[in-house]
Amino acid sequence: MDLPEFREAVERWLDDNAADLTPDHGPTATLDEQMAHLSLVKRRTFDAGWMRWGWPEHVGGLGGSTLLRAYLGEALTARDLVEPGIYSMTEVLAPTMIGFARPELAATMVPRLLRGDETWCQGFSEPGTGSNLGALACRATRRDDGWRVVGQKVWTSLAQYAQRCVLLTRTGTVESAHRGITALFVDMDTPGITVRPIETMHGAPEFCEVFFDDVAVPFDRTLGDEGRGWAVAMDLLPFERSTALWHRSAYLNRRMERLLAAAPAGSLTATEVGEVFHQLFAFRARSLATQHRLDAGETLGAETSVDKILLATTEQAIYDLVADGLSDEVVLGDDPDGERWRSEFLYSRAATIYGGSAEIQRNIVARRLLDMGNER
Amino acid sequence: MDADARELFATSLRHVTAANTGDALDAALGELGWGEALPADRRTAVSLLFELQGAAGATSSALDAVILETLGLGLEGDLGVVLPPLGRTDPPGSVEGEGVRVGGLALAGVAARDRAVVITGTGEGSLAAVVDTAELKLRAVHGLDPRLGIVEVTGAHVPATARSDLPRTAWPAAVAAGQRALAHELVGASRTMLGLAREHALERVQFGRPIASFQAVRHRLAEAYVAIEAADAALAAAWVDGTPFTAAMAKAIAGRSARTVSRHCQQVLAGIGFTTEHDLHLYVRRVIVLDRLLGGARSLTRRLGEDLLERRSLPSILPL
Repeated sequence: MDLPEFREAVERWLDDNAADLTPDHGPTATLDEQMAHLSLVKRRTFDAGWMRWGWPEHVGGLGGSTLLRAYLGEALTARDLVEPGIYSMTEVLAPTMIGFARPELAATMVPRLLRGDETWCQGFSEPGTGSNLGALACRATRRDDGWRVVGQKVWTSLAQYAQRCVLLTRTGTVESAHRGITALFVDMDTPGITVRPIETMHGAPEFCEVFFDDVAVPFDRTLGDEGRGWAVAMDLLPFERSTALWHRSAYLNRRMERLLAAAPAGSLTATEVGEVFHQLFAFRARSLATQHRLDAGETLGAETSVDKILLATTEQAIYDLVADGLSDEVVLGDDPDGERWRSEFLYSRAATIYGGSAEIQRNIVARRLLDMGNER
Repeated sequence: MDADARELFATSLRHVTAANTGDALDAALGELGWGEALPADRRTAVSLLFELQGAAGATSSALDAVILETLGLGLEGDLGVVLPPLGRTDPPGSVEGEGVRVGGLALAGVAARDRAVVITGTGEGSLAAVVDTAELKLRAVHGLDPRLGIVEVTGAHVPATARSDLPRTAWPAAVAAGQRALAHELVGASRTMLGLAREHALERVQFGRPIASFQAVRHRLAEAYVAIEAADAALAAAWVDGTPFTAAMAKAIAGRSARTVSRHCQQVLAGIGFTTEHDLHLYVRRVIVLDRLLGGARSLTRRLGEDLLERRSLPSILPL
C-alpha cells in the first residue's frame, strides 16, 4: 500500500466511521475519558487494519512505509479524534520494543499496544535525575531468579493507566554513569509498584510518581544487554521527536485554525499572526523532512533535537497568541471551550520543559551538531 | 541531475564561487553551463549556486537569469532586470503613454548591459517592456553593502523598444523564483556566519578555557543553528509546493533567520567581529540587504498575517 492509496482509503474510512470515532464527551474530557476514547479509536483502527500499516509484520503489523503511521496519526489528530500526546506514546515505545526486546516478547506485546488493549509508560526521569539521565539511581539487583528493583521514577506519563513500563535502572556502580544502566520491561501489576498521579497546572493528572519496592522482574524482560540501557534510551529519545511531533504539528495546525476562526475582530495583529504561522510552517517542514528520513531507513539521532526545539517554540508562540486573541475564553471562560483553551494554554508552558528541556536540547545541538566539544 | 552529476556540479560551483565574484563569477558560471542547467533542473541549479554564492559573499547576475527564465524571456539577449524597490514585491514599472515609468533596483551588472526588462502592472494588464539602459537613470549605490553593488534605477517616459503581454501568473511566479533564490543566498550567508563564530569560540581562550565551553556562548550558536535549519526546511518545502505563497514564507523565514544568526554570531565574535579585519561584517551587511530584496521579512510577514486574518483559516500545505 502506498501513501496516496492509504491516504484516500483512511480518509474515506474516517468519513464513514465518524459517528463511532468522535468522542461524545465534548471538549473538556477528563483524562479517564480521553484514555477510554483513545483505546476505542486504536481498537477500531487496528481492527480495520489502518493502525497496523507501517509496522513490521513480525509484531503484528502489515509492513509498508513508516509514512503510513505518520499519516494515520496526522489524520486522527487533525480531526480531533484523539489527543496527540497520549496517542503518540505508541510511536515512542513500540520502536524500542521492536529494536531491543526478545523477538517473541515484541511479537506478543507490541500488538497489544497498537490495538489499544494496553497502555505503556516510560520510566526514565527520577527526582534526582531530571536532565542528567546518566545519573539515575533506581537500582536493579541481580538475584538467582531475576532482577529486584528498588527506587523511584517521576514525570512518568500515564503510569496510572499503564500495564507495562519501559524502565531504566542502575545495575552498575553509581560512578558507572551511563555505562551501568539496564533497561527492563516491567509489568505494572507486579507487587511492590505504587503509582501516585501528580496534579498539574493544566488540570490533567498526566504525570505520575512511581515507586518500586523490591519489585521482581524476570531476566527475559531485559531490553538489550545488561549495562547497555543507555543505548536503549538513546534509541528511544529520537522517536519522541519524530513521528510523534508530526502528529502534534497536525494538531497545532488545527488549533491555530480554530483560533483564527474564533478570535474577535481586532484581537490579533497581522504581524503576530504571520510570525506564528511562519514558525508553524518551518516546524512542520522540518518534521516533514524527518518523516521522510525515517521512511528512507535513516537512523535518527541528535538532529531531532532541532525538531523538539522548533515544536516547543512554536507551541508556546501559538498559545501566547491564544492568550491574546481569546483572552476572555482563557481568563474568564468557564464553559467547555474556555476550559479547553485554558488547559491547552497552560500545558503549552511545559513544552520547553518536558522531553528534554530547551536547555538540554541546545546543549545537544552545541555538542553533537556543532561539534563544539564538551562544556567546561 | 543524478546524485553523481549533482555532486560534480556542486564541487565546480563551490570552486567558482569561492574564487570569483561579480563579472568574473558571471563568466565562470557561463563556462560551467549554469545557465543551461537552470531550465533543465531549476531546483538544483538555484539551490546550489545561491547557497554557495551566499556562503562565499560573492555576487553575480544569476538572480536576473532566474527571473528572466521564469518570465519565459529566455536567457540570451544580454538583458538586465529591474527589481522592485527595497522591501517591495510589486512590479517596478508603470505604463506612461508610449513609454514606461521606472522606479526600482537592479544588480550591479545592469549598467554593463545594453537593455533591461521592466515589468509593469499586475494581473491581466501586466507587460514586459524592454528598454535601453542608456535611457534609465542609474545610481550605483554605496550604502550598507558596497560590495553587493546594487543600482538604483529611475526613469520617466522611458521608451520601450519591445513590449509583450505577460500571463497573469508570470510576475508572481518570477517574484517567487527570485525569493527562493534569495532565501538560499541568505541561508548560505548564515551558515558562513555561524562557521566563523564557531571557529572563533573554539579558538578564543578566556578564564583559561575556550569560550566554546561556556553555556551562554553554546546556546547562542545553537539558536543560530536551529534558525538556519528551520529556514532550510521551509525552503525545501517551498520548492516542493512551488507556489508564490510558500516562496514568500520561505524568504521571510530565511530573512528573519539570518537576522537571528547575525545577532548571535556578532555577539560571540565580539570585538574582532566588529572590525573590518574580520569578514563577519561583510555578511552582517549582506543579509540585511538580501532580506529586503523582493519583499522583506517584515512586510511579507504582515501581509501573510493580513491574509490569514482575512480568510480566518489556514491553507492546506505540507502534505506528507
